[in-house]
Amino acid sequence: MSVIEYDVIVIGAGVAGLTAGTLLAGQGLNVALVTAGEPTACLSTGCVDVCSQNENPLQGIANLPDLHPFHLVSSETILQALTDFQQVMTDMNIPYTGTLEKNRQVISAIGTFKTTCLTPLTMESSPQSIDEKIQIVTFTGLKDFYPSYIISRLQNASFSTYDARVSTTMGIAAKFEDDAFLEAFISWLENLNISADKIAVPAVLGLESATAIMKRIASRLKRPVFEIPTIPPSMPGRRLFNALKDHFRSKGGVIYWGWPVVGVEKAGRLIEAVTAESRGRPNSLNARAFVLATGSFVGGGLHAERDTIVEPVFGLPVHVPSQREGWFDQDYFSANHGIGQAGIMVDTSFRAVGCPWDNIFVCGAILAHTEALKNGCGHGFAMTTGHAAARSCLEYLQ
Amino acid sequence: MIKTDVIIIGGGATGCGIARDLALRGIPHCVIEKGDFAAGATGACHGLLHSGGRYAVSDPVAAKECYDENIILRRIAEKCVEPTGGLFVRLPGDSKLFRERFLRSCEEIGIPTEVISSTKALELVPNLNPEIEEAIKVPDCSIDPFRLCMLNMRTSKLKDGLSFTRHKVTEIIQSRGRCIGVKATDAATGEIKQIYGNIIVNASGAWTNLIAGLVGCTVPLTLSKGSLVITNHRLTNMVINRLRPSSDGDIIVPNEAVCLAGTTSLTVEDPDKIAITPSEVDTIISEAGRMIPHFNNTRVIRAFSGVRPLLKSQKLDSREISRGFQIIDHQNGMYSIVGGKLTTFRLMAEKMVDIIMSAFNLKRACETAEKPLDGQEELSGYPLSKRLADMKNIICECELVTRKEVERIIEQTGTRHVGDIQHRTRLGMGPCQGGFCTFRALGIMHDMQILTAEQSVQSLREFLQRRFRGIRCALWGDQLREEQLVEYIYLGILAMERNK
Ligand SMILES: Cc1cc2nc3c(=O)[nH]c(=O)nc-3n(C[C@H](O)[C@H](O)[C@H](O)COP(=O)(O)OP(=O)(O)OC[C@H]3O[C@@H](n4cnc5c(N)ncnc54)[C@H](O)[C@@H]3O)c2cc1C
Ligand SMILES: Cc1cc2nc3c(=O)[nH]c(=O)nc-3n(C[C@H](O)[C@H](O)[C@H](O)COP(=O)(O)OP(=O)(O)OC[C@H]3O[C@@H](n4cnc5c(N)ncnc54)[C@H](O)[C@@H]3O)c2cc1C
Repeated sequence: MSVIEYDVIVIGAGVAGLTAGTLLAGQGLNVALVTAGEPTACLSTGCVDVCSQNENPLQGIANLPDLHPFHLVSSETILQALTDFQQVMTDMNIPYTGTLEKNRQVISAIGTFKTTCLTPLTMESSPQSIDEKIQIVTFTGLKDFYPSYIISRLQNASFSTYDARVSTTMGIAAKFEDDAFLEAFISWLENLNISADKIAVPAVLGLESATAIMKRIASRLKRPVFEIPTIPPSMPGRRLFNALKDHFRSKGGVIYWGWPVVGVEKAGRLIEAVTAESRGRPNSLNARAFVLATGSFVGGGLHAERDTIVEPVFGLPVHVPSQREGWFDQDYFSANHGIGQAGIMVDTSFRAVGCPWDNIFVCGAILAHTEALKNGCGHGFAMTTGHAAARSCLEYLQ
Repeated sequence: MIKTDVIIIGGGATGCGIARDLALRGIPHCVIEKGDFAAGATGACHGLLHSGGRYAVSDPVAAKECYDENIILRRIAEKCVEPTGGLFVRLPGDSKLFRERFLRSCEEIGIPTEVISSTKALELVPNLNPEIEEAIKVPDCSIDPFRLCMLNMRTSKLKDGLSFTRHKVTEIIQSRGRCIGVKATDAATGEIKQIYGNIIVNASGAWTNLIAGLVGCTVPLTLSKGSLVITNHRLTNMVINRLRPSSDGDIIVPNEAVCLAGTTSLTVEDPDKIAITPSEVDTIISEAGRMIPHFNNTRVIRAFSGVRPLLKSQKLDSREISRGFQIIDHQNGMYSIVGGKLTTFRLMAEKMVDIIMSAFNLKRACETAEKPLDGQEELSGYPLSKRLADMKNIICECELVTRKEVERIIEQTGTRHVGDIQHRTRLGMGPCQGGFCTFRALGIMHDMQILTAEQSVQSLREFLQRRFRGIRCALWGDQLREEQLVEYIYLGILAMERNK
């Protein structure tokens, strides 16, 4: 078994883990990030939800129930985390727009409005009302995008179909990285003689260069162009993840990809190492402190058994909302399923309540009472708590 | 106003079987079904084409009917039946006396059996509990009830039979004490159709008394709810039964890529108010897990229940009531046909139509036992290899359903319901339970201008709510994880409106 030593090991490559890891690596610490696989960010719209319960996200946070972990951080920390994020994304050429004072609307693939806080620049021109005049472009055979859903809600929208010769989200996005393809697409658009005020495309404008591609089309067509997020695989979500990952690496962070943590080594009140598997072989990774950012159920940080819920890495105590009967409401659309409250309860230092070890810090969607979907506490919450947990970890190490 | 000879209320296996039989004997008829075909017990059943073994001890008459029909259906409905064979397994502690009675009854009835050692049984079904004492092999099969109904209706349609799905019979039209027609409400438009006929057959299963009650009649029935769970793996290639008197969770049936385990049996009052409880799911899993231990850690993708109308007898435990069927002549032009099983639907239809023929004073013998079901030739057109070749057009990744298949069903049936596509293609039947493909199927329906976009969003909502009812009681482990993903897609990424 190989043994490697770090200052901090972050478990999980989601928005929370990458934010925490970057902050710690930025302080000159030797940080490794161990992850089983891709985070939920890759499935997401790429938009950063902070709290969607109010027009003003900060007000929304203030109104959250007492037990909500957002109350463990100050508004200064929230502001700091989001400002850092916007700076990073600008540096990585995927700028975001929006502020903490006001939520924005982004049109969804079925024509509803999704409330969010920060959006990639490629969605900046997303309509804010149902009567804007929009020309939607879709692609032959693209099975996850049906403009008709949108047109049913936006009366002044119509659509045209472009044949990209490939029909998957990823395939089309890859083609957009090719200059000749982009030029051909632009000429085709020019020939459409569009009279609408804006042009909408499903979010396939390139793998990494979306902002530049969007700007080029917009300037040639002389009107705003925006992306509509699609169901997974989602390009804007992937761009967000790639940028955060590359940025973490640029700060000196190391990533162990495809290494699920399967065991821990403890000594008294400390965790000394975690064991992660790579191609079936165990590897021991030693560190002075650990950040647990394994997400909720989708991420893999929580696992429901028939009658209880467990945290598989450290076996931390989990807040289980009720008996199984109460995990899901009868009404699917109530967004009020008890299961949303499951997770790890932490104190103001982001240590798990009832945890016998001093050097584990927990952040992101794994936290109890987050109710990410219900409250719209997505990436914005993950980066904030990632930030706060990293600070607490830093304090501990000093 | 519509005129026909025979009106059939209910498009379950019984109603569809009657329609086919009438069609083959040249009698005009009309089937009225409030949901889709197989919407009742038929679509909620285990899909076991009984060998009769299950009833050999408790109800030899029914067992014999099952065995005879088993042989007939394997012949005429080849494309609906998978001749898996079945095992009755005896676990430590299960009564040896019952084993003796089982073998003796099967022999008397004529059901072929073969006693095999546990080693041999484990060779046949490697996932079996290695502790079984022995197994008895019987000719049980797996049968697809949706396909069975559709193919029976095909014959009806070929002979100009009428049918209305999503039409609910709300009134029986009477004249001088005789039933002469029905009023049926179209669920989509609210329009009321008047359909007249000479004979009315009430084949409404668990709803029998709601229909009979419209003309002041009752049929002495007990309603028994049974629940089933579906796993995402085909854990066995044979039907597995527990060798003991009928009890909860003692049958496992493989079906395409999944398997079904059940059932429970609880008396209910209202066939429209049936909910599954987590404890029922837990019971089925742990009982099935006694026969196939893997059941305890396999993903359960859905649970559902159906209601059996059982003819009332003096015995108290509803499982002991005869599964034999009865045809009740209400002496007013209406007949109710109740009881029986999916396995015996054809026989039930034959007896019913014999009565109708003699009421009409016509003579033409039943042909349903000899003639293969119409339309089976076409079904071979979708082998897996063909579907895989069209991979990029696959819209349901779990069950490999292509866009073309979906378009074909929409064209053929003009349906406006995703459910209809599901019953005909298996779209949405796999592990994600329609989480991804329903959004696509509805998008296609809108592209084909079958639905307005408002309607497709509304259908999507209804579908998700319906789907949730089936999965809610079985959410833990990977299925819960998948469900949270699907929920985030619809309520987060697609921002579907929430209910207050
Ligand atoms: C489908 C979907 C769409 C969403 N869309 C949005 C959106 O548009 N906007 C928004 O703001 N929020 C969205 N969210 C919510 C948002 O993604 C999360 O709330 C947030 O990003 C959580 O981040 P996280 O870092 O806490 O965890 P996750 O993103 O869940 O990451 C967990 C990480 O931990 C790893 N991991 C788990 N177990 C182990 C282990 N044992 N060993 C090693 N690694 C492990 C996983 O592989 C993963 O990399 C969406 C969520 C989903 C599911
Ligand atoms: C849990 C369970 C498991 C079973 N497993 C098996 C098995 O493995 N093998 C087997 O052989 N048998 C099995 N059975 C029995 C079998 O399912 C039934 O015997 C058979 O399907 C009955 O068919 P049916 O057409 O008589 O009734 P149903 O299928 O219930 O059909 C009645 C139809 O009438 C319709 N209807 C009701 N009211 C109205 C109205 N007012 N207007 C219009 N239409 C109306 C309903 O929508 C319904 O579709 C099982 C039953 C249950 C409940």
